[in-house]
Amino acid sequence: MLTLPAIVFGALAAAVVAPWTLGRLNPRLLVLVPLAALGALIYITGEVTSADLITHQISWVGSLGVNLSFRIDAFSLLFCWLITGIGALVVFYSASYFSDNPRVKYFTFLILSFMAAMIGAVLSDDVIIFFIFWELTSVISFLLIGFDSTKPEARRAATQSLMITAGGGLALLAGLLLLAQAAGSTQFTVIVGEGARIAELPIYPFALILILAGAFTKSAQLPFQFWLANAMAAPTPASAYLHSATMVKLGIFLLIVLDPAFGSTAIWQTLLIGFGAGTMMVAAGQALRVEGFKSVLAQTTVAALGTLTLLVGLDTPVAAVATVGFFLSHALYKAALFFVAGNAMHATGISSLREMGGLYRALPLTAAAAVVASLSMAGLPPFIGFIAKELLFEAKLAGGLTALVAIALIVNSVLVALAAVVSLRPFYKGPQKPAQLRHRERISLVTPPLILAGMGALLGIIPGLASSVILVDAASAVAGQPVDTKFKLWHGLTPMLGLSVVAVASGALLAWKWRPSHAALSRVETPLLFQTERLSDGLGSLTLALARWVTGMLQHGSLRRYTLVPVAVMLAVLCFAIARNGIAVPELTFNRPYIIGLTIIIILGSGLAALTKSFLAVLIGVGLVGYALGVFFLKNGAPDLAFTQFAVETVFVVIASAIILRLPLTVGDARTKSEKVIDGTLSIAVGGAATVMMLAVLASPLDERVSDYYRLVSLAEAYGRNVVNVIIVDFRALDTLGEIGVVALAALGAFGLMRGLKIRSRKTMS
Amino acid sequence: MRETDPGYVPPKVMPSPILSASAGLLASVMMVIAIVILLRGHNAPGGGFIGGLVACGAYVVIAFAFGAKRSLKLLGIHPVTMAGVGLVLAVLSGLPSLGLGIPFLTHLWSDVPTELGVLKLGTTYLFDIGVFLVVVGSFTAFFFMFEEN
Repeated sequence: MLTLPAIVFGALAAAVVAPWTLGRLNPRLLVLVPLAALGALIYITGEVTSADLITHQISWVGSLGVNLSFRIDAFSLLFCWLITGIGALVVFYSASYFSDNPRVKYFTFLILSFMAAMIGAVLSDDVIIFFIFWELTSVISFLLIGFDSTKPEARRAATQSLMITAGGGLALLAGLLLLAQAAGSTQFTVIVGEGARIAELPIYPFALILILAGAFTKSAQLPFQFWLANAMAAPTPASAYLHSATMVKLGIFLLIVLDPAFGSTAIWQTLLIGFGAGTMMVAAGQALRVEGFKSVLAQTTVAALGTLTLLVGLDTPVAAVATVGFFLSHALYKAALFFVAGNAMHATGISSLREMGGLYRALPLTAAAAVVASLSMAGLPPFIGFIAKELLFEAKLAGGLTALVAIALIVNSVLVALAAVVSLRPFYKGPQKPAQLRHRERISLVTPPLILAGMGALLGIIPGLASSVILVDAASAVAGQPVDTKFKLWHGLTPMLGLSVVAVASGALLAWKWRPSHAALSRVETPLLFQTERLSDGLGSLTLALARWVTGMLQHGSLRRYTLVPVAVMLAVLCFAIARNGIAVPELTFNRPYIIGLTIIIILGSGLAALTKSFLAVLIGVGLVGYALGVFFLKNGAPDLAFTQFAVETVFVVIASAIILRLPLTVGDARTKSEKVIDGTLSIAVGGAATVMMLAVLASPLDERVSDYYRLVSLAEAYGRNVVNVIIVDFRALDTLGEIGVVALAALGAFGLMRGLKIRSRKTMS
Repeated sequence: MRETDPGYVPPKVMPSPILSASAGLLASVMMVIAIVILLRGHNAPGGGFIGGLVACGAYVVIAFAFGAKRSLKLLGIHPVTMAGVGLVLAVLSGLPSLGLGIPFLTHLWSDVPTELGVLKLGTTYLFDIGVFLVVVGSFTAFFFMFEEN
């Protein structure tokens, strides 16, 4: 069998390689990548639907218990179909959408990487792997929103979305780790299995809130809903893919995965239903206020995400069927409508619904796709949206909360109205003289929305097609128990049908009066409670102000103060150690003449360095001290250390003199007299404290266990006679690797800084 | 104009003919010594770090004699790149053990029989060469940066 890791890593590898190879031939050929993934997923369908759950594992960081483990059930398979299928359409569409943009390769690279990351997240069984893919999708979303990096609003929206989704991601990581700790495993399957026990633990509410913070930020739930509206700064194909059909549903997906474990707890149901319903209402209100084509679609997407959150919160089998049905139908019609919006905006260069009109003559096929997709969005028969909406009403009626039914009714009326607005207004109504068109209808731009809209119609007319292949199994996976199919077009004269009729009628009225009601609503201030965007912006600028203040405090630019701080800290630490351990003086012998000689050299060298005004003399003084120390090492059985000391001293003196040759050799001392006194006192105090410390160390007997161990095993286990070198390259090799990494980074950083200086000075010259 | 005045430009240092004449020989000898130090390090005082510092000294001699530009050309590779290559080599030396399922950077040894006797080869040499290159690359980078400015 095709293994899940192979699919995930194959998609990742293809995303990195294909745009620069296959994409160079023809960007449209890149469709093959998502299609291949889709093919692989279809190939394993039989196996997935016949088993409840399939898991695959590759050992990775075994010592941390983190493994590359993957899982798939019917619902994640359905989600992956959507990811790869819509992915293929998006790649095909963008090849034409960006036909005159040289960055098309970069764009498709992002789209394909995003697809791979999504598949990875959906199929992960390990919470750590899941988190990595989750954050990867946030980062790619950031890059796509900021794709038009020359536009300030795109940059702002990109940063905002990253702050919110990545911030939520951190909360999610904490929550997942708490769950993993409680379950004793990082695997989702184990966590879900232990769910009933975890829900009893006192840690459960905290873990749940952290996880919901992650899921709600990702899926644009209250109070984080605003980032999705701003994310519309992304190119339309990206909006269709990330910000309606796939990424924003990843939060919902996580909730669905955890639902079998915690779905029956009161706190879970309360939070999900509460926030879901609130998001639906706020988004429905916003959707009527905005006028941009994509903005309307974005707000209805937020409403749909709220609906899904609420449905996950309802703990009934019919809610599970409704979740899966709505998940599928929303992805189909919303992606289609985004494609339609992209076509209209691409052809006219206008983005406001109020200014568009009469486009059906110029874009007949786009108009057709818009109508079909919006009929599904409005929930009219015989489209899949109708079935999903009937199930939705049924789930809410079964939930037994009248308020929920009322909210669902209002939100559905708004959806009906806006479905009419986005399909009729730009194409059939409005100004009779169509706007100046930049190009005629392109077949490659209408095929994707037509396919998606057609799928919505097909699955509505033959609902058995979807339900027999996957929907029933997917719903059973969501419910955590087998459910019987309710997925058909005609349920008879039910209360749900009555609600549908009411929703359609009031929606039609609202659509007819869209212009005045839209104008009236947009004059109303948003209630303060829902202005969370201002709060988020305020927090952002506060953080920046704090960072500026701290940096100003620490980076004052005075070399004297920079040096003073660590020296003073060192003095404090030394004094603390001496105060704790007391003073001890070992027996010292000065019986050898070389000791006296070297000591004199060291004193002379440091005196010279301290007193002279010439840089060169300072250098010579410090060099003398270094060489004298080297001789000490050599005489005391540390030839390696002496060797290194000599080499370092030489290179240091040479490099320093190379610098000094560029500078005046003597400079005036800018310090005041009292500053000099402070510096001198501090230096003497540190020197004195260090001496006392060294004496105390010498007075206590040396513990030789570690050095004895290394001496013993150096040759036997690491085949080296030079113990020092063996420790550096073998026993403590990881430390050395870190150290040379720091050295190389320092060189790179200094190189970058100096280059920046050079460029700047060249600029000021010219 | 006094040396302490702002805008003081120190006079160009004349390259010494004695240095120019002997630099090539001196640097070659230093380089050979550096490599010997590097390779003997596992059993006698020496190793990648010290060897790297000595090699760095060799380049500095060249740079003083012939100027930064020419000596950089002689190096053939950008110092920062050299440091990067060193880092990669050090990481690579730890990978074979990972493939055998032992922790990263556990060094492996093999005895290679030659006509002169058994040659002991270990991945530590690769690691030490990596350290050597990082040290040479980084320190020459610092040096040349100031020289160029």
